[in-house]
Amino acid sequence: MRLASVLSDRALGPFSGRLGFLGLALIYLVLIAACLGSLAQEGELSLGRNPIANLLKTAGEFARPSFLDVWFGNPNLEYRSDDGILLRAENRQTVEMDYLAGLGRATWTTIRIATLGSLLGALLALPLAVLTARNLAAPKLLAWLAKGVLDVARSIHTLVFGLVLVGIVGLGPTAGILAIGLHSMGTYGKLFAEAIESLDMAAIDAVRSVGAGPVQVFFNAVWPSVLPQFVSSHLYIWEFNIRDSTILGLIGAGGLGLLITEATSLFQWGRLSTVLLVVIALVVSFDALSRRIRMALA
Amino acid sequence: MSPTPCIALHEVRCAAEGRVLLEIDRLTINHGERIAIVGHNGAGKSTLLRLLSGFLPPSHGQIEVLGHSLSQPLPGADLRALRVELGQVMQGLHLVARLSARENVLIGSLGRVTGWRSWTRYFPAHEVSRAEAALQAVGLLPHAQTRADKLSGGERQKVAIARLLMQGPRLILADEPTAALDPSAAAEVCQLLVKAAAEATLITVVHNPALLPLLAERVIGLKNGRIAFDLPVAAVNDEKLLNLYRPDAAQENPLSSNDSRTTMELPCPGTA
Repeated sequence: MRLASVLSDRALGPFSGRLGFLGLALIYLVLIAACLGSLAQEGELSLGRNPIANLLKTAGEFARPSFLDVWFGNPNLEYRSDDGILLRAENRQTVEMDYLAGLGRATWTTIRIATLGSLLGALLALPLAVLTARNLAAPKLLAWLAKGVLDVARSIHTLVFGLVLVGIVGLGPTAGILAIGLHSMGTYGKLFAEAIESLDMAAIDAVRSVGAGPVQVFFNAVWPSVLPQFVSSHLYIWEFNIRDSTILGLIGAGGLGLLITEATSLFQWGRLSTVLLVVIALVVSFDALSRRIRMALA
Repeated sequence: MSPTPCIALHEVRCAAEGRVLLEIDRLTINHGERIAIVGHNGAGKSTLLRLLSGFLPPSHGQIEVLGHSLSQPLPGADLRALRVELGQVMQGLHLVARLSARENVLIGSLGRVTGWRSWTRYFPAHEVSRAEAALQAVGLLPHAQTRADKLSGGERQKVAIARLLMQGPRLILADEPTAALDPSAAAEVCQLLVKAAAEATLITVVHNPALLPLLAERVIGLKNGRIAFDLPVAAVNDEKLLNLYRPDAAQENPLSSNDSRTTMELPCPGTA
């Protein structure tokens, strides 16, 4: 106890104790002031010319999601030029119906990107997690290397991976899958390593004590105690990746993100609202499902 | 008395970090004996069990257990062969928490069941029915499908005993099997343990003197790593036990008495 506190005192140096906390709080306040002050000085803290009116306009359009047009749309919307000549007539109902069909396809693409990307990340992370888990005592150099790879993967955003990969493998879901896989590999590796580190040593001793061989120990003690945690982290990150992959369309990986880019660049807030409703429904239902499964496994 | 004893120790000395944990000149235990080991914390009880189970090689001396010489660390295959014949009930309720009671009992058959069946935990039917019989014997058949971490402490210890029945070892080492149990559960577990050891040698580390007559015919008292007495259970009385547990400066371990403060703070491997 005493030794530990001495060590931590030394490690924290001037930041320990009550005065040290005050010091830290002061540094934090200075940082906040610097951020706010410099932005204000550069005149970047403005909310635009008429934020309230813009907000109300956008919110109004959001409140009328485009999918309502499938039932309530004008079946014969006429586009006329200024002098009254009929340019084009369209059935809003079929147009929005087609849009919904496209939305369904995009959702499926997003699910495919997230699912395959998560699986790829998990598979890539597994050997690295085994190397980084402290209780397995892998060779130091390999452990450091694996930890480095995981840290790099975790700190680079999926979007950045995506941008780079689109340049390499071209536009399309492949880039998305690889991007999701590479980024989530970092998170998977960390969670898997933690699962391995929290291994139940009593269980291993129990199986070992009856004279079981290493393979038997693995399947009877290690596997049952690690598997539920692996599955639970997998579901958790999978769910996270479904959310993440909706944005990947922004960089041309396809899926819901593409529709989001389209709707925002055309200021079609009604359509954006429809797409976002789908995203929310997707994430919420997957969350509910994965929580059920995780609770059943706990 | 059989010609080759179950356990034979000769001039065994076990030291760790400059401290003598155990020093036994001669100890012989025959097949089928019921032995209880008593002694204060750090007297070397658990160290002795760890020596006998091959977890810890002695620093010096000869140990023979069930025909295996443990004086040198055993190669993996020999150690596993010894452990198949050696049943252990440990203090920390050693079960696989995420497996059901029945699967935990079936672990006892891993010495016999090998290959893919033992990897997929798809045990042969006769082993499964034997496991169920073992659970029946300890009164836990209704909980066969319950996961080990959902069982109470006493129930878990009974599962560990059912695992012994499944394993059918020739020697059983129990390290304070009743440490976390209330008195009635402790007595029940002891009775089951003795029943499970019907055809085996049983060595139990106990703290509660009330349990001695249940568990043993012969009691070995350890003090500061040495055998203080080795008597039939009828000859063990309160005075002997009090003497055993009383701190005694004169008999202090010569190495540890030099600097008792440092040794007290040392982590002592294998001390109960």
